[in-house]
Amino acid sequence: MSDHDHDHASGPRSVPAGPSSCAEAATAKEAAYRIDYPLAAARNTRVVALDDEAERIVRSAALLEWGQARFFSIADPGEVLAEVDASDVPLDEVLADTNTVVMVATSGENATAVAAIGDLARERGIMTAGLVVTPGALTSDALFHLRPHARILLVPAEEDDLIELLRATRA
Amino acid sequence: MLRTDINELLAQAGPGTPTGDLFRRYWQPVLLAEELPENDCPPVRVKVLSERLIAFRDSEGRYGLVDEFCAHRGVSLWFGRNEEGGLRCPYHGWKYDVTGQAVAVPSEPASSNFCANVKLKSYPMVKRGDVLFAYLGDPAAQPPLPEWEAYTVPDGQVFTSKRLQECNWLQALEGGIDSSHVTFLHGGNLESDPLFKGSKGNEYNKGDLKPFFEVVDSEGGLLIGARRNAEEGKYYWRVTPWVLPNFTMVPPRGDHPVHGHFWVPIDDENCWAYSFDYHPTRQLTEAEVAAMRAGKGVHSANDDSYRPLANKDNDYLMDRESQKRGENYSGIEGIALQDSSLQESMGPLVDRTKERLVATDAGIIKARQKLYKAVKALQDGVEPTGNRAKDQKVRSVAIVLPADQSFVEGIGEAMVAEPSKPHTSV
Repeated sequence: MSDHDHDHASGPRSVPAGPSSCAEAATAKEAAYRIDYPLAAARNTRVVALDDEAERIVRSAALLEWGQARFFSIADPGEVLAEVDASDVPLDEVLADTNTVVMVATSGENATAVAAIGDLARERGIMTAGLVVTPGALTSDALFHLRPHARILLVPAEEDDLIELLRATRA
Repeated sequence: MLRTDINELLAQAGPGTPTGDLFRRYWQPVLLAEELPENDCPPVRVKVLSERLIAFRDSEGRYGLVDEFCAHRGVSLWFGRNEEGGLRCPYHGWKYDVTGQAVAVPSEPASSNFCANVKLKSYPMVKRGDVLFAYLGDPAAQPPLPEWEAYTVPDGQVFTSKRLQECNWLQALEGGIDSSHVTFLHGGNLESDPLFKGSKGNEYNKGDLKPFFEVVDSEGGLLIGARRNAEEGKYYWRVTPWVLPNFTMVPPRGDHPVHGHFWVPIDDENCWAYSFDYHPTRQLTEAEVAAMRAGKGVHSANDDSYRPLANKDNDYLMDRESQKRGENYSGIEGIALQDSSLQESMGPLVDRTKERLVATDAGIIKARQKLYKAVKALQDGVEPTGNRAKDQKVRSVAIVLPADQSFVEGIGEAMVAEPSKPHTSV
């Protein structure tokens, strides 16, 4: 008996069918048959520190091993980013071939850079996330500058939220 | 993704487990009040946090929640006779009061004090609203009685249902925290479900299918704000509170009753979804209650054992034609089953090492992290939050705010429950 062996009468209709039935498919035993192959890492996540204190947090995360994530701070607001322990890179190039940008802020500095990153990300369909690391403060300039440009914001984020987010998304 | 060891740590809530210890710092729903409807009514088996217990209501109306098994030879007290102030095992007549204290051992001489040395494990159980809450933890750490608004409003203003969900509690809870699925999975219900339709907020939902999210840390858990475009220069916010470990509330729509859930572990592969609807300022109407009993809103139509009539044994009554017609996104009828069917399909305990999370899963990521930290902190002697009145007197909120305003500032006291205060809704 298969999923197709039922009449086409109107109204809800379902015929649990052996291995295709929900009852069997949802068991722990069946879970063992899930295809086991390595999932690809997240594509080239970019992490950008928007101020000096954020840079400390980002540098700390950069010390860990990641798949393809790269870490930056602001060099020339709106035009160039400085890669951690590497050279300056034009923003246009930083956001080439990536699908996620995580911006980290502890203050409201570099609003111009936030806008530049957000605008280019929107144009290219890149997901943006913002971590507003302002312990105890639920509102801040950092929040207001990031809000228009980050589809998801953690407020106030803790320093280890960056690492948790990157790990969870396999950056 | 989540490492296997952390995944198992957060999922397992039995006795002696770290997350089990966390759960045992909170009052948890264990029965609907209707399951013990009168004095000396039949006892009811309760399995919660992987412990097998028996619940009964004695001749004086006192509630008891005790070890299921007679201390004598391990017979289930489900067979017990509930009479004259206690539950009597039918095998040899041993009788227990609501505290689990043996009060009669007929085989012993009348003057014997043998009873004094026999006591079943028992837990306090109290009635709040239409639910019986129990505390399974260390008596010395017992928190105050629950102060959830749904369970402190006057009679007639709350309705609670429960349904069996055949998967681990955590993957069910995560559905309540994750707002991003609503647009897809439940989108078809906004204007068809009698407990959702007709609100101005629904128009904003339909007009902006790509909400932005803000996850705000709070003392008791998290506030998850989903932001959509409203009129020029304004945003429509829907704010969901999550309170440790297993409570969420859905933001209101119009003047409909507002709803939420507790996901209570039965064991590591099953949980109860206790779903409530309440109105802070008026009685629920007959039509509203009828709809809830019929499985509308966040409730489900269940059998006598509270298992949904649409379940995995009948493929949740999947209707592919309805799916194609766009009446519902997944082909499953009803919001509750739309969630639970998918969550059960992940397996009894989902393997989170295989996840491919994205940035909009940050709410779930943060919640897992906060749970993990609370579990570890308790192991170091730090008491968790979420079991205090100030954490529980929380409301969800739907509100339109100026675009340049923080939602936390904008909602202000709207998220604090107060008697007779209207809820903030759109």
